[in-house]
Amino acid sequence: MRLITTTLALAALLPTALAGQARYSAAFGFTSGTKLAQDRIFQDIDINQRPAPTFTLGASLPVSPRERAGLEITLGFGQTHVKEAGFPTVNGPSFKTLGFTAGVDGPLLGPLRYRFGAGLVKYLASHEGIFRQGAPLLLSLTLGSDCHIYTAGKVGVAARLRYDYQRFSTDELRSSGFARTQDVHRLGLGLALEYTR
Amino acid sequence: MTRPTVLALGATLAVIAGVACSDIVAPNRSQRYDWRLVVNYDSAGLPFVDTLSFHWPRNHLPVRIWVEDQFGLPGHVREGIKLWRTAFLYGEWDGVVVSDSNTADVIVRAVQPPPQTIPASVPSCVGATDVDTVNTRFQLRIPIRVYVFPSIPGAPDLDRCFRIVAAHELGHSLGLFQHSTDSTDLMYGVPNVEGLSQRDVGAALNAYHFRADMVPVRP
Repeated sequence: MRLITTTLALAALLPTALAGQARYSAAFGFTSGTKLAQDRIFQDIDINQRPAPTFTLGASLPVSPRERAGLEITLGFGQTHVKEAGFPTVNGPSFKTLGFTAGVDGPLLGPLRYRFGAGLVKYLASHEGIFRQGAPLLLSLTLGSDCHIYTAGKVGVAARLRYDYQRFSTDELRSSGFARTQDVHRLGLGLALEYTR
Repeated sequence: MTRPTVLALGATLAVIAGVACSDIVAPNRSQRYDWRLVVNYDSAGLPFVDTLSFHWPRNHLPVRIWVEDQFGLPGHVREGIKLWRTAFLYGEWDGVVVSDSNTADVIVRAVQPPPQTIPASVPSCVGATDVDTVNTRFQLRIPIRVYVFPSIPGAPDLDRCFRIVAAHELGHSLGLFQHSTDSTDLMYGVPNVEGLSQRDVGAALNAYHFRADMVPVRP
């Protein structure tokens, strides 16, 4: 209900007259990302992330004959692992990511649609390791593409590719003396079930 | 795609390309003191000065610590575990108080330290950690034995003293075998601070990212 309200509120802000149908989607996939941090104590230490199962809910409305604007809410289940030369690779803290992205999508080529947007990603983690003083809320920029592979009436299935970019750090890293932020690039692949009303 | 869409897409890519060139910068870890155990003999027992490093292996964590229930020591040791945990960013060390002394890796007793140990002395209490490297020097016999005892029973600052000395001795048990020469460090020979200094943190991190010469063994 809140999702529909939010979507309608977004639509009300858009200058273009809305003449079309709302599209809802639910997707499942996996998101892989680059390292979250790096350190050096005698040897290089990388804090990497394992591929995270990711669930996405989305809603969009047409804003022109070809483009749609919408929101995506993404929940990912991540796990860090610490890689250090000469030492066994070990698991670090696990975390969840909750992302809110507003974006625009439109036709690209044949069954392909592009999507770009921006939003916020909140990391949720127990207070340990690099998340000891809490988990960050980060800005993210996203790009992606959907490929419609099956359509039957109002229902369709799409293969989905998503990329996002964030600048990662945590309060614990900053208070431990780490400077600047770590660029994190994430790439997700998934399948989406879409319903157009 | 419409022209505004192409422009917006291009702008997004340009922003990503423009900002995506930054790596986090790790702090300097040079603030530390030597943590290694100095031994004056080799494996054959002949005179030979060597420095031996130790840290608990990852597959041995959490270190199991049994504490004698006297003078509120279990609470002080739990506080010490919590304190030392903050020194580590990547879960290199962790400890837990256990109820069975037979399986403990560290045993904390509320008795007078034996004479061969080097005590950490604060006016109203005393502590010591007994480290046995066995004859090979490449093995550390567990359980490591820690002693904490009041030297002035009933002293008003006894609680604070136990808290400091318990955390200090816990530092020895996790592999910091030397005393610092700086009075602002918890691992100073006569400790008088309740928290970890940057040098304490640096020494602990260095110990856990330096190749260990000894492995823990149970007789």
